[in-house]
Amino acid sequence: MKGIIFDIKQMAVFDGPGIRTTVFMKGCPLRCRWCHNPEGLSFTPQLMVSDNGCQKCGKCMDKCEHKDKCISCGECVRVCPMHLRRIVGTEYTPEELAARLLKDKVIYEMNGGGITLSGGEPTAQPEFIIALLKKLEGIHRAVETCGYCAPDIFRTVLDHVDYVMMDLKLIDEKQHEYWTGKSNRLILQNLEQLKKSGKPFVIRIPLIPGVNDTYENKVQTAGLLTDADNLQFVELLPYHTTAGAKYGMIDRCYEPGFDTDRAVDTDISAFKKYDIPVKVL
Amino acid sequence: MTDRIQKMYDYYVKDKAHHEFRQPETDKYRYAVKYKEQGLCDTDRAVYRLRDVLNEEKPVVFPDEKIVLLRTVRTLPEIFTEDEFKEISSKHYIHEQGKVCNICPDYTNLLKYGFAAKKAEIENKAEEFAKAGKKEEAGYEQALISTIETVQHFMERYAQEAEKSGNDYAAVTLRKLINDAPETLAEALQYLRIIHYCLWCSFNYHNGLGRFDQYMYPYFEKDMKEGRIDKDSALELIEEFFLSLNKDSDLYTGMQQGDNGQSMMLGGLNRDGSESFNELSDICLQASLELKLIDPKINLRVNKKTPLSEYIRGTELTKVGIGFPQYSNDDVVFEALRRWGYDEDDIYDYTVAACWEFIIPGYGTDIVNVNGMSFPKCVIASINKLEQFDDFDALMEDVRCEIFKESDRLRETAANVYMEPSPMMSLVMNGCVENGRDVSKGCKYNNYGFHGTGIATAVDSLASVRKYVFEDKKLTKEEMLTAVRNDFRGNDELLNELRYEGPKFGNDDDRTDEIAVKLLDWFADALEGHKNDVGGVYRAGTGSAMYYIWQSENEQATPDGRRKGEQFAANYSPSIFTRLDGPFSIIKSFSKPHLERVSNGGPLTIELSDTMFRNGEAVEKTAAFVKTFIDLGGHQMQINAVNLETLKDAKLHPENHRNLIVRVWGWSGYFVELDECYQNQIMKRMQLII
Ligand code: SF4
Ligand code: SF4
Repeated sequence: MKGIIFDIKQMAVFDGPGIRTTVFMKGCPLRCRWCHNPEGLSFTPQLMVSDNGCQKCGKCMDKCEHKDKCISCGECVRVCPMHLRRIVGTEYTPEELAARLLKDKVIYEMNGGGITLSGGEPTAQPEFIIALLKKLEGIHRAVETCGYCAPDIFRTVLDHVDYVMMDLKLIDEKQHEYWTGKSNRLILQNLEQLKKSGKPFVIRIPLIPGVNDTYENKVQTAGLLTDADNLQFVELLPYHTTAGAKYGMIDRCYEPGFDTDRAVDTDISAFKKYDIPVKVL
Repeated sequence: MTDRIQKMYDYYVKDKAHHEFRQPETDKYRYAVKYKEQGLCDTDRAVYRLRDVLNEEKPVVFPDEKIVLLRTVRTLPEIFTEDEFKEISSKHYIHEQGKVCNICPDYTNLLKYGFAAKKAEIENKAEEFAKAGKKEEAGYEQALISTIETVQHFMERYAQEAEKSGNDYAAVTLRKLINDAPETLAEALQYLRIIHYCLWCSFNYHNGLGRFDQYMYPYFEKDMKEGRIDKDSALELIEEFFLSLNKDSDLYTGMQQGDNGQSMMLGGLNRDGSESFNELSDICLQASLELKLIDPKINLRVNKKTPLSEYIRGTELTKVGIGFPQYSNDDVVFEALRRWGYDEDDIYDYTVAACWEFIIPGYGTDIVNVNGMSFPKCVIASINKLEQFDDFDALMEDVRCEIFKESDRLRETAANVYMEPSPMMSLVMNGCVENGRDVSKGCKYNNYGFHGTGIATAVDSLASVRKYVFEDKKLTKEEMLTAVRNDFRGNDELLNELRYEGPKFGNDDDRTDEIAVKLLDWFADALEGHKNDVGGVYRAGTGSAMYYIWQSENEQATPDGRRKGEQFAANYSPSIFTRLDGPFSIIKSFSKPHLERVSNGGPLTIELSDTMFRNGEAVEKTAAFVKTFIDLGGHQMQINAVNLETLKDAKLHPENHRNLIVRVWGWSGYFVELDECYQNQIMKRMQLII
């Protein structure tokens, strides 16, 4: 069994308690229009090209045998003198990845840190992450999820982590479907499981201008969280205009469909109203 | 920052308005010719130089200053004519400019006693020596007395100017300090400013400030107890002193602007195991945090027991983006100093000389940067013989021999050193007054330190040969040799693979890191057991100073995919070609070598994106990261908070970024004032950060 990941980032300081390593799992069932990690959407390896420094030497295309449509074969990677091309998406067995992560056990232990599985969407590779989480037992394990997966998978994942960071983008079902491509019914169902699980969790809301930064959406979100003792806090992540930076690198267009220049409404009164601790990052 | 400090900041730092008082540049041999005609010996010339420079100085005092003195003389004079110096150079090894430099005085030699008492002590000594028929020593004591009188005379002139400009406070302070020792913090700071200023005017450069929070503490404590100051007014005084260090630092000699050696060490373990970090240390951090100036350069001594809170204070300073503090690990440095024969009494007092080389204030006349040993040079020499070796071990054995050969060669060059005398410096170095002997002839410790340059290039190159030639056999020995000798021309794919995918020191891969452990051990072995011609030992280090540029300029391509002439990484740092696994793997790899054997000085430098300092929680985690390196046994570390976009913009529009500070090797400097090669190196490294 293999999983596919698109990055491993040591020294993550915003992904859970202590200093951590975050694993970015490749592939996601949602298609949020504001996604800033577009290379994390598909489940297969992809060519990623940075044009910063390209000398237009043409060496890459001289090498390419599939000029019409890139098949991500990677043949052009090594010919680029500027090291601008790479294949994102590396396959690992749970054993291989666990071994790599466990090398830094001493550092997690010294700092009350651990490992966070993020993505993409980690629960979209359920067998792999559960096998991996089992191998990481003894280390603080966190998962960062959009909550979109079958309830039994979600429950199993909960059983194997110590800390959860879950996204809640929109409470209105229609709106959710419009902006992310999927209904939020499973997500809300999984939220209930999470609340009952007793696991400490954080709710993260990417605040998108004009989409979900309204008082209404915030108050609806807050309303769902009043009865959760295990909720640590709500974290608001205001939209940043650099979100589109990586689309061109994987040969895609960024079409957010909302006004990216509009100021984000970071008002937190809706959460205050319910006495829910909230942070703006 | 109070309004008064803000005003001074604007005047001196922002507008540099005080430059209007500066005198035109003059001939640096303006006195040497006269001294020669008069047939003066070198010590007398040094005394005269200080006298002549201070006489040229035109006192400038502003009404609301508490700490005065401003340099107006631009060109410090030489004491020898060009021909005379050539003659000396032909007979001696001249280190840098041939001056006493890059050491740290023990300022308490004057702070505690004051000039009158010091003079009396010296007069007694002179008499003693005269009675014992020791003419030379007796004569030297006279030089020290003249020096004190010169400084006293200069202070009197400044006091008069202070009166004239309506600054009675300064006039009273200066008049008192002409004879008496300082009693308050304000007086002690003014006195330190005078000493430090006169050292520069004696052409001593890179004069460390040492353990400022320790030797200034008694004055702070007394003032606090007696209600003369509170924390706020102490902070204001310290800020004024820090500002004074930036008034004329651009006139100080150094390789680059900012490289002026005004380093300060805070905290550290006492001999009884207690921690010396005190309230004043904290005020110093606060002052640096508010002023955001490149001087003084702040160093923090830490150890396994240092609480996270101290690292957090340090990290708050890092966040400001000025490249301090630099941390050094007492646990490792003590051990290193012990190994090199430093007395147990002295090691607890260590500081950095100017950048990062460890030294004992007042006792160390070590030449801590006497030369640089290039690891890549040794590796290249061995690799050029690659065809002779049957296996990797044989290659490594040859590298060992090359390191020994190169270390021997460097040792031999550094003999029969000549330095210009400095009676002024001798007043603040222990033993000079007692023995009637100038600091240039050496004090208690006279060890020589060598930088170790390009360790990552060397390790990566060897690991690459092991992998591609001996293990995977992807290349024959001949193919590898041809590729590097042709500078990888026509071999883009190989270059790419070696450069970006080859094994790298810093990925926490034991097999690669083990090569680093060996190379550093061999460097230490090669120097161990040898004595220099002044009785000192040799110290191996991990610094690079300028050597990483000088020594790479003409060096052929290397099997790590470095092309001819490309720079090595600076100091104790990983390759700048590729993104490594991350900060964890870097600190793990870089703490594996036996650093207590190579602790001449030279920090692991890590750049972190400024987003890692975004909020209090992130700052705390970054602080924990620094602590982790220290707890793993790292010797010295320096963290930069950087933003590549800002630097790019600064290169294009320097006019908008005059105050952008970056850390270069041992010091921080203004980015727009740096040579382009440094700018590029800094930016290159930044592209790899997380
Ligand atoms: S990865 Fe490169 S060589 Fe392969 S198909 Fe895509 S562009 Fe062509
Ligand atoms: S090989 Fe690299 S530098 Fe050359 S055109 Fe392709 S991407 Fe640009």
